[in-house]
Amino acid sequence: VTMSNGTPSNPGTGPAEPVLSRQKQHHRKAFEYISKALKIDEEETTYQFEGTVMAQKRAFRARKEQAVDLYRKGITELEKGIAVQLKGQGEAWDRARNLQSKMLTNLVMAQDRLDVLEKALRTDDYMP
Amino acid sequence: ASSTLNAPQAQVDSLMQEVADEAGLELNMELPQSQTATIGSASAASSEQDELSQRLAKLRSM
Repeated sequence: VTMSNGTPSNPGTGPAEPVLSRQKQHHRKAFEYISKALKIDEEETTYQFEGTVMAQKRAFRARKEQAVDLYRKGITELEKGIAVQLKGQGEAWDRARNLQSKMLTNLVMAQDRLDVLEKALRTDDYMP
Repeated sequence: ASSTLNAPQAQVDSLMQEVADEAGLELNMELPQSQTATIGSASAASSEQDELSQRLAKLRSM
């Protein structure tokens, strides 16, 4: 994670747009990855399996592994977004700081979920 | 003229409920947290993060 690439060192007067739009881009990607991960992850209870038990199990694990991969990508984007330094003053910067704190909340929550999934996959809990 | 400003909260609530009933809306339905007059994309991003939080919290509680 790069903490300070291109962040203006003059708070309040620097060009706000590039910094804020960089944050926005990371938000956007994080949202896309984690939304996709959630969609797969949430299917757990309704997903209909077909075939033999082994085939079902493989399909189920494959879905969870896919979700894990997407959560990881989303988490990376959240980390990058959170690392964007927001030193400016004014409404746009305040909103950006608000977004930053929400991304931090989701970083923790997504990481928790990822840990749960990884542990379950490791210990073979995910047997339909 | 100041009566509208002094309307008791209960009356405001019941009026809102009435309007909601007429429109067939569920008042307790969750609204995006940052509905308060912020400019489009910034508050949209904020709502999107809220949505992720809610969905992650739901999975955690299962």
